[in-house]
Amino acid sequence: MLPTSHFDTDGFLRNLSDWNPQVAEQIAMAEGIKLEPSHWEILELLRTYYVEFDSSPAMRALVKYCALNLGPDKGKSIYLLSLFPGSPAKIGCKVAGLPKPDNCL
Amino acid sequence: MTTRDKKRMLVVIRHSPYGSSLAKASLDVVLAAAAFEQNIALLFLGDGVLQLIPRQESSALGKKNIGRQLASLPLYDIDSVYVDAEAAARYNIDLTISPVDTQSISTGEIHQLMTEFDHILGF
Amino acid sequence: MILHTLNAAPSSPAFNDCLKIARTHDALVLMGDGVYAAIDSAEAYSALLSCGAKLYMLLTDAKVAGISAPGANITAIDMDDLVALTEEFPRQQAWY
Repeated sequence: MLPTSHFDTDGFLRNLSDWNPQVAEQIAMAEGIKLEPSHWEILELLRTYYVEFDSSPAMRALVKYCALNLGPDKGKSIYLLSLFPGSPAKIGCKVAGLPKPDNCL
Repeated sequence: MTTRDKKRMLVVIRHSPYGSSLAKASLDVVLAAAAFEQNIALLFLGDGVLQLIPRQESSALGKKNIGRQLASLPLYDIDSVYVDAEAAARYNIDLTISPVDTQSISTGEIHQLMTEFDHILGF
Repeated sequence: MILHTLNAAPSSPAFNDCLKIARTHDALVLMGDGVYAAIDSAEAYSALLSCGAKLYMLLTDAKVAGISAPGANITAIDMDDLVALTEEFPRQQAWY
């Protein structure tokens, strides 16, 4: 378990290099999410996005990126909301160990 | 709100990517506007074309990579990206491999383009 | 019709970019370091004239710079006049 000092007040990792799958499980648990393969698929995509675009996606970009890479069935808000309820871009980034997206609604 | 009711906004980008925080500021505005589904277009003018140089490596500066961030614009449905062809030619920038697809316009066409928008924001 | 505010010295890229875009039926306001283009008979003043825009300068900034004899085609304005111009022109481009 990473101590709370490694997280900011919103629960985002302060240092991106602290992330590993165990840390993801820890953050997800704090969000009340049990990570399944369908979650991991999105988390990996989020981390790929971050490397490709040097930024965390807002919801709009995440939906489109999922559609492009995982197909139209998964490129939908409703699908992402079922995995990361509330605010998929924000919570997904948090679990993926990425910074909080700017402009997330 | 229908598309017709929406104001069209042109963001004019005229400064190099890392010499100031203006490039970052313009991206913040563009992505925030996109998140609110505003009708937005970009024009890279003069030294602004320097943001379109491929393969920027800003990590040595500890700064966000402007080129890679520009590459995400299509994911925000921002597809109207114009570039001052004369300035791109002056700096010998190969727009075919720039981070984002652009439409080249001549100096003479820029004024007309600007008048087609309801608002202009300069960075 | 575009209102251009030019706040950059005549040798700057912003100055050159502005003059490439500004044209007849536009208004161009010199402010800050832009007021140096108002010096009568200087090269920058000729360039301003040839763009065709209606020319203004902020009087307070011109005084600060010591521009006592601006070119004859430049109208000196104050802040209230500038606000009036922004109401007249829906589109504004700041060059700095």
